[in-house]
Amino acid sequence: MKDIFTDLYNKVLGFFRQTDKKEDNAKDIACNRLRVVLMQDRTNLTPELMEKMRQELIDLLSKYVEMDKEALELNFEQEGNQMALMLSIPVLRAKDEAEIERELAKEQAEKESREAENSGEKSEESEDAVQDNGVIEIVEETPTGEIVSTEETVTECIEIVEPENEKEKVE
Amino acid sequence: MACTIVNPSGSDVKDKKGETMSGRVIVITSGKGGVGKTTTNANIGTALARAGKKVVMIDTDLGLRNLDLLLGLENRIVYTIVDVVEERCKLKQALVKDKKNPNLCLLAAAQTRDKTAVTEEQLKNICEELKKDFDFILVDCPAGIEQGFQNAVAGASEAIVVTTPEMSAVRDADRIIGLLEAREEIKSYKLLLNRVRPNLIKSNDMMSVDDVVEILSAQLIGIIPEDTGIITSTNKGEPIVNDEKSLAGQAYNNVAKRIMGEDVPFLNLEEDNSVVAKVKRFFSHLIGKEQ
Repeated sequence: MKDIFTDLYNKVLGFFRQTDKKEDNAKDIACNRLRVVLMQDRTNLTPELMEKMRQELIDLLSKYVEMDKEALELNFEQEGNQMALMLSIPVLRAKDEAEIERELAKEQAEKESREAENSGEKSEESEDAVQDNGVIEIVEETPTGEIVSTEETVTECIEIVEPENEKEKVE
Repeated sequence: MACTIVNPSGSDVKDKKGETMSGRVIVITSGKGGVGKTTTNANIGTALARAGKKVVMIDTDLGLRNLDLLLGLENRIVYTIVDVVEERCKLKQALVKDKKNPNLCLLAAAQTRDKTAVTEEQLKNICEELKKDFDFILVDCPAGIEQGFQNAVAGASEAIVVTTPEMSAVRDADRIIGLLEAREEIKSYKLLLNRVRPNLIKSNDMMSVDDVVEILSAQLIGIIPEDTGIITSTNKGEPIVNDEKSLAGQAYNNVAKRIMGEDVPFLNLEEDNSVVAKVKRFFSHLIGKEQ
């Protein structure tokens, strides 16, 4: 009889605990840490490369938004069988069109001067193509698809799924 | 969960006096040290021998041999694997027979030499030679992923990866699995989860069997509970499978059966003893369906 009550008590307590903080126990922490570590082990992406990727993303995105560069987070996470690259960007302010155009023009100018230094002549068209591909270029360096943002209000959300992963899903 | 190691040469094995005995070479490895490779080796080997199979165990941990201790054979070793490759004795002379079970033999490692004393090629040849006379060749692999590991894996076509539900052990097991997958001669590998502590799992303080299996996405061949009996059995030099009452012993016996192709259910270590679960079990018993 006493068994039944203690059991009930534990069940009720357990229910509230579960809804309260789901991932606070040692087991879940271990699982999550392991998943992240194994992903790094398996992909051979060193912390230095991750940092480089982070830096490049900051450079790219700061053309369009003003953000808290220190707080930008880039992590691997596992969602089911899918490996995801989670990018969380605390946005301070979205830049207006004029600012963005100025940034792009500045970059364009830098690029042109660099190219001129390098080989002298190149058609403008190909330069434009490089420019347009900017976003994809960087994402392609990452081993796996999705860049999803999780933070609430002041967060920019980008979702890019690599074609390869999409195929997997379809299959 | 059905769990059988595929025996690529299963039909070739002919019992006693058979002309073409072709044994299975299984390497027992883990990456991390201290997770129970050698204990696993001693117990699975003994269990297979008790089931009437001819078994030889090779200790490839040169310089740090221990398999002899777990089997209580440390005083009987005359020649070692290094003596065999350096041709100071014949292979058969170096095989030490178990005290209790004539089906069981040990090829001991040299204690005074390092991992470079035997090459991959030499180990492969030894395995090929032993395949003719034994049903099972169990290779005890040293910890690490260096030459010792490469040697041990060289002659094997199957592998058992031993791990415990701890982060470091699981991480190392993942590395080992990666290396095994890269080796063509390894046709299948299975996971053996050692030192499982049901109480800690129940209180969510330890990763569960399912967690580890999911993280490593490998097939399971055994779940061995933490058992203080292992300490006493090691001290006595007698594998715990000889003790039929021990839970770990039963679990190892089940592993041996699964290796031989039997479909044995996993011991239910995480048995829920709450009233609700008991009632549920009672009813599922009535319907005759396993929960």
